[in-house]
Formats: sequence, C-alpha cells, structure tokens
Amino acid sequence: MQAQAQDIGLIKAALPAGLLAKADRLHDSPTQIDAVKSPAELARLIEAVAARQDRAAFAALFDHFAPRIKAFLMRGNTPAAAAEELAQEALLTVWRKASQFDRQRAGASSWIFAIARNLRIDSARREMRGKVLDLEANEDAEPPAPPDAELLASEREQRVRAALVHLTDEQLRVVRLSFFDGKAHGDIAAELELPLGTVKSRIRLAMNRLRDVLGDLT
Amino acid sequence: MRQHPKNETLAAFAAGQLDEGRSLVVATHLSMCAECRGAVAAFEAVGGEMLNSIEPVAMSDGAAARAMVAIDHEPSPVAPAKPAPRPVWQAEQESLLGYDLGPWRWVAPGLHYRAVKTPEAGGTRVFMLKAVPGLKIPAHSHTGTELTCVLKGAFIHDGGRYGPGDCDDADQDDAHNPMIDDGEVCVCLVAMQGNVRLTGFFGRMIQPFIRI
Repeated sequence: MQAQAQDIGLIKAALPAGLLAKADRLHDSPTQIDAVKSPAELARLIEAVAARQDRAAFAALFDHFAPRIKAFLMRGNTPAAAAEELAQEALLTVWRKASQFDRQRAGASSWIFAIARNLRIDSARREMRGKVLDLEANEDAEPPAPPDAELLASEREQRVRAALVHLTDEQLRVVRLSFFDGKAHGDIAAELELPLGTVKSRIRLAMNRLRDVLGDLT
Repeated sequence: MRQHPKNETLAAFAAGQLDEGRSLVVATHLSMCAECRGAVAAFEAVGGEMLNSIEPVAMSDGAAARAMVAIDHEPSPVAPAKPAPRPVWQAEQESLLGYDLGPWRWVAPGLHYRAVKTPEAGGTRVFMLKAVPGLKIPAHSHTGTELTCVLKGAFIHDGGRYGPGDCDDADQDDAHNPMIDDGEVCVCLVAMQGNVRLTGFFGRMIQPFIRI
C-alpha cells in the first residue's frame, strides 16, 4: 500500500496537470507525501481520544503532529523553544477538544492546522490583550452536515493535494512564503528578487486558482 | 449579487496572516456569508496539507513524555454543549466582540465616525462610519488597503450595491466614489492601512479637517 502511494506520488510529479485529477480519482489510496498515516487514520486517532481518552492514540498524534507544528511555527519566525511550547499546547488542545472534531467538516490536518494557527495568533496578541476572535463560535452555528459530507470532506482533501500540484513552482513558492511562513510581500519580493507587483499578482493568481479548484466543494 | 473579500484576503485569514483589524472585518463578513466560510474551510485544508507535508523538526527529548504527564492532569474531557449561535455583529446592540468603541464623532455633514479600539499595533485603523441616505462620499483613493463590511443600510460603488454583509476589499489602485443608497442610514466597519487621499475638488478642500 505504501509503495503504491509512493508510485502515485511519482506519477503525479511526472503527469501534466490536466491528468492529475484523473489519476487521483483512479486510486483511492492516500497520495500525500508523508505516507506514514493516512488522513482517515489520523481522523480515527482523534476520534479514539474523543471516545475513550485513548492514550496510545494521543501518543501517535503527538508523534505525528508535534514536530510538524514546531516546524510550521519556526518557519513563521517563532524561536525554537517557544515553537516547542506552542506545539505542546496545541496537542494538549487536541486532547481537550477532540470531541469537537468532526471529520465531516474538516480533515484531521486541517483541524489541527487551525488549532496551531489560533494558538500562534493568540500568543502574538496575548501580551496586548486576553481576547482573540473566536472563530469556532461561527462554525458551531452551522447546520448539521448532510449525510454525504464525509465523502465531500475526503474528496476535498484529495482535491487540495491535486490543486497544490496544479500550481506552478513559482506560485507554490509565494503561497508558502506568504501564507505559511508569514512573510510580508515586500520581504518575499526581496528574497526572490522580484518586483512587489509580481509577488502580489502571483499570490492573487495562485489563490484564485486554488479557489477555482476547491470552491465547488464548499 | 453579494460582494466578497478577495480570495487572497480569505486565504490570508485562513492562514492567520491578517492583522487584527482586517481579521475583524473578515470575521464580520463571514458571520453573514456561508459561501466565504466555505472558502475559508478550503484554504484551511490547504494549510492542513502544507502542515502534513512540512519537513518535521524533532521535539526535544522527553517532550512526548511531558505531554503524557500533562494529559494525566487534565480533567476528563466532557462533550461540550454546542454553544448558541453568536453573531459577530449584532446591529441592535452595536457591540463588536467586546471591542471598546469610541464615541460617534462628526466628520462632515451626514457622516459620523467611531473608532474601534484594537490594541494590536501594525498601522491598521479600525472604525465605523455612519452615513445618511443619499450622501455622496468625496472621490478618494488610499495610500494603503481598505477593507469594508456593510453592517446595515447600503452604498452604491463601482456600479455595485453593497448591502449588509457585503465586503469591499480595495487597495491603493482602486479609486472610490461611493454614494449611500436611499432608504436607511448606512453603517460600515472599516479596516484601513495608510490614509485616505481625497482626490476630488471638494475632497481636497475638506482633507485638512478630517482625520480618517
């Protein structure tokens, strides 16, 4: 199964963009770069924590996500020690909020990404004020997900991976720098030796493209 | 036809990269727009995929053991009661997530301004504007970006009508010459970087007297 997933990764890299969506539909096995745990497996681990405070499941989640959250925060210029503390806090939040996880609404990685993002915003604002926007309050106001939402959510994960492969290398680079690493547009322009306007238009094009591919799933 | 923030603005919100003022305006729009909530969920999924595929940085020795000790000290998680829907904006109370609001101040005939106090520094000012029906705002452009969400009433701008929940996501390239629609007083929430640059004849005359 793992070998198959790697094969698909290689095929994806070699295929022209138009064929990738087709390739994804032909195989229902995980196609993410890290094939250690599938999205469904990660979701099951969170659900095990929610259902019976499963310590082994939590340990597996910690092993998978804590080093990634630490890496994510460090790329946003959080010092290593603080990134490690926030990663600890993020996983503790996963433990506390596991029962709020709903795989029909979001994949495990998206849900944990949002937790890490909120903690980062929170810690950046903490010294100024105790309050942050409570984004989840809005999510909770949503009507119940329809029965086929689980299919849609997993299809969305597939589509997100395919959509990222659809981006040109230049687009992917500015998307990572801007949205993931939190670099200002001016800094990206300096780093890539590009005019500011080019950076801005690349980001705009990339986001419109992602939205085009993903928009009808939402 | 609803007016929405740009995709890159929604993506930056999902990535946690907007400053506090712009986040507040986007969150206000999201509380009224299911389509953009869906878009933010999609961009969060992009963030999740990037998180999953990042090169991990090892945690220090004993980090996992510390986490296991920490969860031992947690009270048993209880299934949370679903909180009641809580709109970000409640027009009746004119309350905005507990942010302190300044007093309404007169800016020009038919136009009032009220500061929304966001403690985060970063050069973005957040305020509300209240304008009477039929008012023409002087032609202007901006030295930075301006993100506006209509809270009640409506304005006409660039051939489009912006009603409650609609968002205008403008940067310095966009010239503005909005007019308040007939009928109701219009209240907007605005996050502005830089300053207004009034470009019309009337605008240049009143520029020295207004501070928005």
